[in-house]
Amino acid sequence: MKRRRFLQLGAVGAATTMALPASKGIASSTSTNFSLTIAPANAEMIDGTMVYVLAYFRDASVPHAELRVTEGQEITIQVTNSDSRIHGFAIPGIPAATIDSIDPGASATVVFTAPTGGSYLYVDPYKAPLNRVLGLHGAFIVEPVQGTTVAGSPTPFSRSALTPQAASLFDALGGGHPRFPGNKWDPNDARREKLWLFTQIDPSFNARVAAGEQVDPATVVPSFLPRYFTINGLSGFDTAVHGGGHSSAAAERIMPSGKQGDPCLIRTMNAGLATHAVHIHGNHCMEVAESDDNGVNGCETHCYERDVWLLKPLARIDVLLPFERPPDIPIGKWPPREEPFPMRFVMHCHCEMSQTAGGGNYPQGSVTHWEMTGAITSD
Amino acid sequence: MTLEGTGITEEVTFSTFGCNVFKQGPATPDKLLPDVVYKRRGAETADLKTPDGKKIKVWSFVDSALPLSSQLVSYPSPTIRVRQGQIVHTVLTSAKGPHTIHHHGIEPTTANDGVGHVSFEVNDSYTYQWQPKHAGTFFYHCHRNTVLHFELGMFGMLIVDPPEGPGRVFQDGPAYEVERVWVADDMDPRWHAIGSHDAGLCGMDVGLNRFEPKYFLLSGIFNNKTMTDSRTVVTAKLGERILIRLLNASYSLLHVTLACDAEWVGSDGHGMGREPWCDKVTIPAGTPIDLSSAQRYDLILLPPARGIYPVRMEFRHWITGQIQDSGRGVINTKVVVI
Repeated sequence: MKRRRFLQLGAVGAATTMALPASKGIASSTSTNFSLTIAPANAEMIDGTMVYVLAYFRDASVPHAELRVTEGQEITIQVTNSDSRIHGFAIPGIPAATIDSIDPGASATVVFTAPTGGSYLYVDPYKAPLNRVLGLHGAFIVEPVQGTTVAGSPTPFSRSALTPQAASLFDALGGGHPRFPGNKWDPNDARREKLWLFTQIDPSFNARVAAGEQVDPATVVPSFLPRYFTINGLSGFDTAVHGGGHSSAAAERIMPSGKQGDPCLIRTMNAGLATHAVHIHGNHCMEVAESDDNGVNGCETHCYERDVWLLKPLARIDVLLPFERPPDIPIGKWPPREEPFPMRFVMHCHCEMSQTAGGGNYPQGSVTHWEMTGAITSD
Repeated sequence: MTLEGTGITEEVTFSTFGCNVFKQGPATPDKLLPDVVYKRRGAETADLKTPDGKKIKVWSFVDSALPLSSQLVSYPSPTIRVRQGQIVHTVLTSAKGPHTIHHHGIEPTTANDGVGHVSFEVNDSYTYQWQPKHAGTFFYHCHRNTVLHFELGMFGMLIVDPPEGPGRVFQDGPAYEVERVWVADDMDPRWHAIGSHDAGLCGMDVGLNRFEPKYFLLSGIFNNKTMTDSRTVVTAKLGERILIRLLNASYSLLHVTLACDAEWVGSDGHGMGREPWCDKVTIPAGTPIDLSSAQRYDLILLPPARGIYPVRMEFRHWITGQIQDSGRGVINTKVVVI
């Protein structure tokens, strides 16, 4: 496979032809007003294939923008439909944030109160699931007003929604537990929070829609055969920060990096139609919150320690990557002397069809890695 | 520097990420004297006879510590069983091209984790070093062109016993008298007819995004025999505690229903009921559990009376949710209490 030259999502049509960034880092949570525009674009896959997609562009420029708000705020989202077909807007789990349909060329606005802290997806509910898997989706993240446990440990959840089990885990971090020396989770450090928004692309559907065909949404699931698998819109090599100057804000938003004892929250979501088996090397992760079948978020009463978690379509699962000493390194050889930091550990979906691109090209699918840059040695 | 020419010291590029992965066989960094050594050579191949009278080729690791005449090709590959706290060396000798061993759920250094694009694939031989901290159920598999090598059979179980040995799931944890490993797997014969170990790696469309399994196996037994074969049917005396180590090694969602209550005591090799954030869970009889590919569940069964307790495992498609192979993707087995 030849390395393709461009990493871009370009808007289709005469109005905008310039290349656009794939996404940005963590957005500010100070906004309460958002403007989204639905428009078609061309997205380049990891093997160079160009695929017609649809996207929500924030301020008519940033596709698939991550929207970030604070609990209790009144949020206003204006959606303009610049496509030639009907679309809509919804945030499963927040029923008030729904616009059933917007005619071509029209705009609609929804106003709602941000719920308790957690991870959400925004999607196009019109002709579901067709428009969603054509690209009309993004992450909607709510920060808590009071996110600390009773003992004072920061968490990404509202105290009123915390379970005793989730609270005990955040209290254990940097709280004297022998597995977790180091620091508590830090909501003010962008390196301590990552987003993995998974989806899959079957270009045959994109091509049919681009050609003007009216695709029956009921036919999508039975015949969906994805050829590309993305995390935050990226695949394979592009999902991580590598040496030699290859990096991007989008890859940094995916790849956790830090020292032992710097725990990281990872918001995992699935906008696609395939159930992922999210597998991480180096550390088990603890599941701390997930959405139920109605899209409602809740903290876990069992924070399972997993090296694989099952991520269904539309599901959101928040996990904690504890950044503990990789437990199976011989204790007498920590920190290692003959093997340098950073240590890199991959994450990939273990339903391994997802590790392909264009029918082969392992591992250019839904994969990334995290790195531990150093050990706690001073104490 | 022993790690020259690997992804640990060299810049990872688009080429080394997938098509031209680092291939080395360095000395193990920070090497210790081992308490236990396992040796594996792979890939070695064998043909399994399918229920419909055909042959399907599998790839596997053999136990290369045995005399050559005893190195039989098994499916799955032979089990690695060690105790918590032992210094373990797994010596891989590659055959028919480069391979790796990733000890799934075991978390050692990058050099010992067996993923080529961040470290190296093994062109000749390498000694993986690890010291298990958690007693529980794991497995190991080749991580080269994993989508293909794992599906074709380059995997085996990996069990970590507590320091005192078998009999408890983990130290001071649940005890058991009868133990059974159930490894659920599915096979797409089209994939097993692909001869090249490198299929698709450098740009070919070899259809590895399309998985259509036709054969369904439990612990190496095709599903036409799982109700009778002694390697799948569990037999226990009344009052004996049965430990089921359940692995989904398939590329399907595994939907499992047991006819007796189960106590879920370990997830992915980590014991439950040890930390305040994750107690054990009782799964009532008839309540299905869903395992994604590569998940492990440690379940303790204590059936209340003599009798036969059916177990049903459905292999469900990762997108449609339908039972694979037009409804034929089912394994039935049973627990017999005498």
